[in-house]
Amino acid sequence: MRLLQVSLRSLLLYSLVLVLISIPVSLFSIREILNEEVDESLSLNADQFLKHIKSFEYLDDLETDLKVLDQLSYNIHIKPTHENIVGNYQTVVLFDSTEHEQRPFRQLSSSVDIKGNLYLLTVRMSTVDNDDLVLAIGSVQAALIVLLATGLLLLNRSLSRKLWKPFYKTLNQLKAYELDKNESIKTEKTSIIEFDDLNKTISHLTDRNRKVFLQQKEFIENASHELQTPLAIFQSKLDILMQSPVLAEVEATTIMELESTAKRMARLNKNLLLLSKIDNEQFTDTEEIELSSLANDLLSDLRPLAQMESISIVTALQPLLIIANKTLIELLLTNLFHNAIRHTTLDGNVFVQLQEGTLKITNSGGPLKMETDKMFERFSKESLSENSTGLGLAIVKKICDTCAYQLKYSFFNESHTFSVSF
Amino acid sequence: MKILIVEDEKQLVKSMAQFLRQESYVCEIAYTEREAKEKILLFDYDCILLDISLPDGNGLKILEQLRQKNKSDGVIIITAKNSLDDRVKGLNLGADDYLSKPFYLPELSARVSAVIRRKRFDGNNKIVLREITIDLLGKIAIVNNKVLELTRKEYDLLIFLMANKNRVVSKNAIAEHLSGDNAELFDKFDFIYSHMKNLKKKLSEAGGQDYIKTIYGLGYKFSI
Repeated sequence: MRLLQVSLRSLLLYSLVLVLISIPVSLFSIREILNEEVDESLSLNADQFLKHIKSFEYLDDLETDLKVLDQLSYNIHIKPTHENIVGNYQTVVLFDSTEHEQRPFRQLSSSVDIKGNLYLLTVRMSTVDNDDLVLAIGSVQAALIVLLATGLLLLNRSLSRKLWKPFYKTLNQLKAYELDKNESIKTEKTSIIEFDDLNKTISHLTDRNRKVFLQQKEFIENASHELQTPLAIFQSKLDILMQSPVLAEVEATTIMELESTAKRMARLNKNLLLLSKIDNEQFTDTEEIELSSLANDLLSDLRPLAQMESISIVTALQPLLIIANKTLIELLLTNLFHNAIRHTTLDGNVFVQLQEGTLKITNSGGPLKMETDKMFERFSKESLSENSTGLGLAIVKKICDTCAYQLKYSFFNESHTFSVSF
Repeated sequence: MKILIVEDEKQLVKSMAQFLRQESYVCEIAYTEREAKEKILLFDYDCILLDISLPDGNGLKILEQLRQKNKSDGVIIITAKNSLDDRVKGLNLGADDYLSKPFYLPELSARVSAVIRRKRFDGNNKIVLREITIDLLGKIAIVNNKVLELTRKEYDLLIFLMANKNRVVSKNAIAEHLSGDNAELFDKFDFIYSHMKNLKKKLSEAGGQDYIKTIYGLGYKFSI
């Protein structure tokens, strides 16, 4: 759930509760105020009425007049009584002939003394119907809820569109951010302090990460460069040593072992250097390459070598024109071919197929000892051969990632297949 | 024949000079860009081995100076960087060849002699060693006036061995010279052995002496 939805939900819930509580509260308070007003005017009426009657006390037949008055008047009743009641207010329900319904009335009953006789004076006044009041208040509050909700929703929507725009922009950039791509996060200045803070922090963080990452990459490349010269010195000393005329067989063997080790170091270093160069995007020039003829050229050099192990190379290549960096493509093909030949058993065969934009290289051989996922990791070796650096397929993977080619591996029917979709 | 080695790694320079002097080249050494520029102004060299990264500058500057002075010294760039940029720049500035570290000294020696031959004899040249004549232009080997039917690899192998005559050349160096990166494929050197066997057979069939000696455990030597 989005942040704004959460806050909106709380706001809506709060206003709903407030409105619901306000219905009975306002009902009671309005009723109280109304009753008070009505009671005041009732008491005023009673008072006026009494004063009026008092001014007629000289009449002899006042008793009869009062009886008539009681009969005629609707709102004022006066009857002889024995009880002594002082200002009793109450609400009664009576029939309203004009409205043809039962209506609530407020009435004041009080005993008065007229010419020595005790009378019960009842003054009545129509008051607001409870149902009407509830209806009125309810509808007002309902309208309020509707207005509040739509208002909040609209406000929320425009807020999320305007106010949160920089936030979502930064978020999307962060989602798309990849450390190894050559882009930094560009943030815009906003009017919100928190967003500016966030943007600044993110920029700082990503810039720092990128710097560390680049330093790391450069370090590998520089380290590999620096190793080349000592390796060259080592090899040159071996070449000199070999010329000694007095070498015994044991010494000669040791020299050769040293040379093989030097060769291995050099190859390892070369492949590491290649990996970091691809990482550091040093192969960016592109050109048009006809893949099938390039594959044929590379394979023609490999065939005599493969024949030594009685490995036959069969091809089915359709022309395919791609635009890419030639060095990378040559590396990709060479590494895949080498891998296939190296892992083919004696008298086996390698099948290279280029069709519909996909290059498939199949070689016969037993199932993998390692897990398939680990195959493309650096320094994961299947063969025990000293000649394998464990970097060949890592380079293949890196090139495919860099050029956005799809690389797949499958094992079926005692043969391994690598496919690259260009 | 005079060679100038421009390289700041003293140990490497020592080995290179020692190896090349056996081939009776005269080797001079410059450890810095300044020294190299001075020497180039004063003398002409048949071949200059040029390291690109020098402590006081870039080797490509030396190459520029050479071309400005219209000097025709052969140049082989030697670098640890192996970057395509440097290679293209170097070759555009007129370098004749490019060798990246680490390298085998026999490979260096073969490249040096190839550059010198190209410069000296303008391509129209032959290598003659007793009864063996190599016509570099026609890419054929002739023994006792008979043209040998050599494959491309056998021809390359013969030139490589002759450029390193009287020196032991290891199987690794031969493998890399013949197959480049593909030499990585196998631990064994069967393919060298079969090329070598065929070459020796063809040489002797044409009446050539058996110059190619197998040095047990190490490699081969063209002894003359």
